[in-house]
Formats: sequence, structure tokens, C-alpha cells
Amino acid sequence: MNPIDDQLNRLFQAAAQGIAAKAVPESTHAPAYGLETRVMAAWREVHKGGTGFWDVALLTRGLIVAGVIMAASFLPALQSANTTSSPFADYLQLTDSTVASDDAP
Amino acid sequence: MTDAEVADRLARGRKGDEKATLELFQYMYPHVAKLVQANLPHRESAEDLIQQVSIKVMSHLDQFSGKVPFLHWVSRIAVNTCLNQIRHEKRRPEVRLADLSEDEATVVEHLAAAPDELDASDQVASKELVDKLLATLRPADRILMRLMYLEGRQVEEIASLTGWNKSLIKVRAFRARSQLRKRYAVLMKENS
Repeated sequence: MNPIDDQLNRLFQAAAQGIAAKAVPESTHAPAYGLETRVMAAWREVHKGGTGFWDVALLTRGLIVAGVIMAASFLPALQSANTTSSPFADYLQLTDSTVASDDAP
Repeated sequence: MTDAEVADRLARGRKGDEKATLELFQYMYPHVAKLVQANLPHRESAEDLIQQVSIKVMSHLDQFSGKVPFLHWVSRIAVNTCLNQIRHEKRRPEVRLADLSEDEATVVEHLAAAPDELDASDQVASKELVDKLLATLRPADRILMRLMYLEGRQVEEIASLTGWNKSLIKVRAFRARSQLRKRYAVLMKENS
């Protein structure tokens, strides 16, 4: 093994042993004073926001449904506009009016 | 706490049960504290970062899908928060022999002098020297080296903790190790 690699490995090994010797067991960790309160306050804020009237998810869903309804109600109007504005429709209208005027006494 | 108990607390927490949420926090806290202290950026206080991670986890409990164990999900948030903090530091100093403390310089001498393991008395200085060497690396490489060589974690475990894929971890580890080798070689050259 490269001497540099060997030395690095031994350095890491000693550092890891130093960390392990200094480490506090997980079970003895206690939250700092006031941390629980601050974390729970943040959770309460989010939870309250999620169930309120201005719930973003609910609002988004409402907007999507409203959009679909608007599109559906505009569809017949759009279709009729397309039919009357097509050149073929104009020609038919013109023919109809000619026939009507010819039949007039 | 078993997976079933975690799922129960989560379900109750989502319905607004504060006691269940508090129990979840108390369950995850030691794990978060340990991870943050291990990957602590230099200028950041552990307490602030633990609070930041805890608030992030508790505020996003609704996004936990249950596909991975709860503590894995928490670990990923903790590691990524530490990584972001390290990125903000933007400080990657060089390490020169003259900058080392007396004990750290002694460690370098001991490493060069004999192929044996270092003494227990050198462990603290070794840790400080490793911290200085790691501080010269890019943030992601620094976290990776720490997880791999100081905490002895396997590639699979690191993938689960960070969300990086295994190939990326291997490439990053190889590159970071070469960088460390170069930095350490400079120290050795100055020492000889």
C-alpha cells in the first residue's frame, strides 16, 4: 500500500477511535431547554395552517374544478361561433337567402 | 419505538394529537443530535442546527410516505441540512504544517515515524487534524469522507442517508480520497 494511504488510514482510525471514546450514548441525549416547546410551536403552526379555511391544497383543487366547469360552459358557445364563422357556413347562409328572395312574390 | 408505533404516532399526529407528535420528536431527537454533531459545520452551533432539522422534520411530517423507515427519512433531512450549512460556509482553507497545533504536528511525526497504530493519547489531536484536512474538501466530499471513514458506514447506508446513488458515492469517494492524499502529502513534505 502507498505509504501516504497507509498513514491516512491510521490517522482516520485514530480519529474514529477518538470520536467513539468521546461519544455520548444516544439514550443520554436530552433536548436543550426550550427546544421541545419551539419545535412543537412550529408543528402547531403548520398543522393549524393545514386545516384552516385557506388550506392551499383545498384552494388549488377548488380552482381546478372551477376552471373545468368554466371550460365546459364555454365549449358550446365556442362550437357555435366556429360553425357560423366558417366559409362553408357563410356560403350556405347566402344560398338560403337567395332561395328565399327568389321565392318571394 | 417499533415501525407500528411510529405509524400510530404519525397517524395520530396528522389528526392533531400533540402528545403523539411530541413522542415522535422525543424518539427522533437523539438520532438527529448524533448525526448533526458528527457532521457539524465549523461555525454553526449544534443546538441551532438540531433545532433547524427538528423543525424541518416536524413541519413536513405529512410528506413522510412510509416507504422507508422513519429514522432513515429523518437522517436524510439531517444530513442534507448539514450539507447545506457547510455549503454556506464557503470556506476551504489550506492546511500547512505551520498552522497545526503542537499535538497535531506530533501526530504527523508519529504517523511518518512508525507503521504502528497511533497511541490513545494521539486520538484527540488526530480527530482535530482530520477535521482540518476535511475542511479543505468540497462540502459533499467532506460529508462523504466523514460518513465513510469516521463513522464506518457502507456505501448502501450512505446512499440511504444522502439520497445519492451508489456509483456517484464511489466516484466521489475516490476523488475526495485523492484530494486528501494530496493535502496530506504536502504536510508530510513539510515535515521531512
